[in-house]
Amino acid sequence: MSKGNSSGREAHLTDADFFTLAMPPAGEPEALPRHLSECLACSRQFSEWRSATRELANEGMDSLRNRSAADWEAMEERTIEAIRRLRRPKPRLWRWAMAVAASLLLFALAVPLRHGRTSPHAPAAPAQTLSTQDQADDALLRDVARLARSEDENSRLYREIAPEPSAAEEDRL
Amino acid sequence: MAAAVLLAGAVALSAQDLDGKWWKNATLAERIGLSADQVNEIEKIFVRSRPDFIDLRADLEKKQFLLQQAMEDGTADRKDLERKMEAVENSRAELQKARQRMLLDIRQVMKPEQWQKLLQIRQEFRARVQQQRREMKQQEAPRPQPPHPKPHK
Repeated sequence: MSKGNSSGREAHLTDADFFTLAMPPAGEPEALPRHLSECLACSRQFSEWRSATRELANEGMDSLRNRSAADWEAMEERTIEAIRRLRRPKPRLWRWAMAVAASLLLFALAVPLRHGRTSPHAPAAPAQTLSTQDQADDALLRDVARLARSEDENSRLYREIAPEPSAAEEDRL
Repeated sequence: MAAAVLLAGAVALSAQDLDGKWWKNATLAERIGLSADQVNEIEKIFVRSRPDFIDLRADLEKKQFLLQQAMEDGTADRKDLERKMEAVENSRAELQKARQRMLLDIRQVMKPEQWQKLLQIRQEFRARVQQQRREMKQQEAPRPQPPHPKPHK
C-alpha cells in the first residue's frame, strides 16, 4: 500500500493501490475510499481500473462476438484444410500428433464459446476442471468481489441516477 | 500448433480469474510459483472465511432487495430510503472487510516476490485491456472523409 493514503490530497494512489482496491491484500481499507472521495484524479483512475476489470470479464466473449462472418469462414476453411491434411497418407507418428493438436485447438475454441453462451457473468473458462465444490466456491468469491466493488445491478442503477465524473469523461472520449 | 494452443491457454486468464479461486488455476499458480503447500494453506484460509461470505452476501442482497422495493414502491419517505441506503452500504462494507481480511491472510502465505508477480500479471491484464479499448475505439470512430479532389492544372 502506498505511503500515507489516509493523509489526504497529496498522497495519490499508486497502481498497486488501485489493484489492492480491486483485490485488496492488506492495508487500510477505510483510508482508501476517503482519499478517493477527496481526489478527483485518483477517483477517475480508480473508475478506469474498475471498468477495465469489467471489460476483462467480457474479454473472451468480445473476441468471439466481434468476429466477422469472414473470420468465421476463414476459420472454417482452416479447420477443413487441417482435416484434409490429416486424411493424406503421412508417417504414422506425425498423423497422430496432428490429430492431438487439432483436438486441443478445437477444445480451446469450444470452451470459451460454451461459456460465452451461458451468461455474461460466467467464469472466464478456467483452464482446469474444478470440482463441484470448487465451482460453487469460485462463484461465491466472484459474487463477493462484484458486490464488494459495487459492480452489482443496484450500484449500476445508482450510478445511472448520479453518474461519476469519470463515467461522463469516458463517454466523451 | 501445440505451442499455439498452450499460449492460448495462458492468455485465456483474465482479471476475473483473480476474483475467483485463482489459486486453483494451475496456469496462474505455476506463473506465480505457488507450491502445493501454499495452495493448501490458501484453501484453508478461504474455507475459514466461507461461512462469513455466505452470511454477509445474503445480508447485503436482502438489504438491497428491501431498498429496491422501497424505491419502486414510491410511498417510502426520504428518511426511510436513506436509512435503507445506509444499511446497504454498511452491509457492503462488512462484506468488503471480510474479503480484505481473507486476502490479507492469503498474502501472508505468499512470498513477496510471488505477490509482486501477481501484481505484475494484473498489470499485464490492464495493459491488454487498454490496448483493446484503444483498438475498438479506433474501429468505431468514423473515418474522416477525404477532401474533394481539385482538378490539377
